[in-house]
Amino acid sequence: MPPLDQDLPSALEARGVSRRDFLEFCSLMLATLALPTRYLGKVVSALSQPQRPVLVWMEFQDCAGNTESMLRSSHPSVAEVVLDLLSWEYHETIMAGAGKAAETTLQNVVKNHKGKYIAVVEGAIPTADDGVYCTIAGRTALDIAREVCSNSAANIAVGACAWDGGLVRANPNPTGALGLEEAVPGVPVVNLGGCPHNVANTAAVLVHYLTFHEMPALDPYNRPLFAYGQIIHDQCQRRAHYDAGRFVEEWGDEGSRKGWCLYKMGCKGPEATYNCPVVRWNDGTSWPVQSGHGCIACAAHRFWDWSSPFYKKLPNVPGFGVDVTAEEVGWGVVGVVAGVTAAHAVGTVIRAHKEASEGSKESGSKPESKSASPEA
Amino acid sequence: MNAATPAATAAGQHHDERLIRVYVWEWPVRIAHWVIFFSILVLGFTGYYIYDPFIISRGHPGFLMGTMRFIHEVTGFVFIAAFLLRAYWFFKGNRWARWRQFLLIDSRQWRGARNMLRYYLFLRREPESRVGHNPLAGATYSTIYTLAVIEILTGLALLQHVAGGKVLGFFIGWLPLLITIQRLREIHFLILFIFGAFFIHHVYSAVLMSIEEHSGLMGSIFSGYKFFPVDFVAADPARIPGEDVLPVAPPGRGQRARRKHAAGKGAAPAPGSPSTPGKPSPH
Repeated sequence: MPPLDQDLPSALEARGVSRRDFLEFCSLMLATLALPTRYLGKVVSALSQPQRPVLVWMEFQDCAGNTESMLRSSHPSVAEVVLDLLSWEYHETIMAGAGKAAETTLQNVVKNHKGKYIAVVEGAIPTADDGVYCTIAGRTALDIAREVCSNSAANIAVGACAWDGGLVRANPNPTGALGLEEAVPGVPVVNLGGCPHNVANTAAVLVHYLTFHEMPALDPYNRPLFAYGQIIHDQCQRRAHYDAGRFVEEWGDEGSRKGWCLYKMGCKGPEATYNCPVVRWNDGTSWPVQSGHGCIACAAHRFWDWSSPFYKKLPNVPGFGVDVTAEEVGWGVVGVVAGVTAAHAVGTVIRAHKEASEGSKESGSKPESKSASPEA
Repeated sequence: MNAATPAATAAGQHHDERLIRVYVWEWPVRIAHWVIFFSILVLGFTGYYIYDPFIISRGHPGFLMGTMRFIHEVTGFVFIAAFLLRAYWFFKGNRWARWRQFLLIDSRQWRGARNMLRYYLFLRREPESRVGHNPLAGATYSTIYTLAVIEILTGLALLQHVAGGKVLGFFIGWLPLLITIQRLREIHFLILFIFGAFFIHHVYSAVLMSIEEHSGLMGSIFSGYKFFPVDFVAADPARIPGEDVLPVAPPGRGQRARRKHAAGKGAAPAPGSPSTPGKPSPH
């Protein structure tokens, strides 16, 4: 890509992005990053610099959903600004080049911008059978990821698959798929879980990197705290109904119409940490719980395995059928013990009667040990 | 109780069937027992509500779930306090409260547990009576204590997940990284039912043993005292070496108890001068 021949504001203006839109975007990024407003000037000036870090976006075992999410962001300024700020050298879905030329571009980035480019990974990386389940231009995904991600300045894993293997890794995981972090251990990774990632968060991470030249603060899963630091439940607009004890009990009932809490319908909001209720989707229009569907904890670790069944409160108990809930298992345990106890009580009473009748038969020669027999 | 009589006679001791009153359950044991009982009752009810809010407050502004969760969390800490008191008493308590009583660590304990199991299966007439609790009961309680530890850890992890906090996070933040929150919830929930099942068995077996032993077992968890023949207590395997053969109640209460006992039934006073367990024998 040729370097900018004009400053960013006028370049943006040429694309129909006004100064006001640009500042709006910068404010949005500040808000997403939870930075104080005094940083606005810093963000604006950093983004206005004619710096163009190279970015490569690699897709492995994915559905391109994160790419779609990025491209379909209808907020004109987000995609435009971020696209214009970074030099996207490689992105399988949107690049014009193909075949050898495209692969050469990737090789050139690794060679010429070693230690300076940003690598974005979308999709899981298969490791079973030497990683043959995903190959690009004859190389396995694992091989490519190892080379590209260990020579980059920063790695961003977008979406559930790149973070922890996602759907591809879900049981029984025939391809041995892993997230980037596990497939290529040792490289610094920022994980942006979620199915798909939220573009606002990914843009915010990039803006943070461009402004402060480092990645934002991370949680134990290497996810940015600004996006994954709070429980969905705590930010949910239906939370008041939860605390009050007002719950939807079936789809379409009175509570459902009134927008009550979806906890009883299996909403995983109380477990998932994400800024979904605040940032929302489609330019802040809505998000799943607002629109009446329970959260499936798509931003939780290995959510396909661990948050499913999505419409039940608790996972299935291992060793029992999929139709058996944890509660049924629990009551079953209580029932069995109660039954055995009742049977034992009956047995004890029968024995006591037997002993009593035997004792009356051989009265006088009552053994001493019988003095302890129950009176029942 | 007579199960141990042959052992006592075999040991060449004088056959003494007179009852003495033994202070078995000290106050921390009883306090912990009842606090744990009532807190599990409250935790079970509120916890089940948190799992399945079966009361729906319609229209009227309320704070039902909030209240239930508040009670659950506060009671959880009461439970932890009672548990810690009991755990402390594993090391400081009398011979029947010690940790050894809860583990099948020697052949005698194993044999006792086997005998008790055979008794429950109607393969043996006499239960394995002990002054404290029998080895099988001890093993059951240690299982329940283990489950209580799991319940406490998972509960704290779930609390930390919603409440945050650096201190809590330091102590328990590692757990949700190992086991996912949903699975922790499930474990936390399922153990409630094991507690419920245990409750049924516990009450039943306590009543059963009370009838079999005539030792005042049901009353002992309120008063602390059980009644046993002298030679049975003398042969008590739980005795810590160096301790009195016949432990008697602490001086003040014990003397009063003995006086009453002697006046009422003419039972034997404890042989030897009274002394608390742990002190060297006056013999």
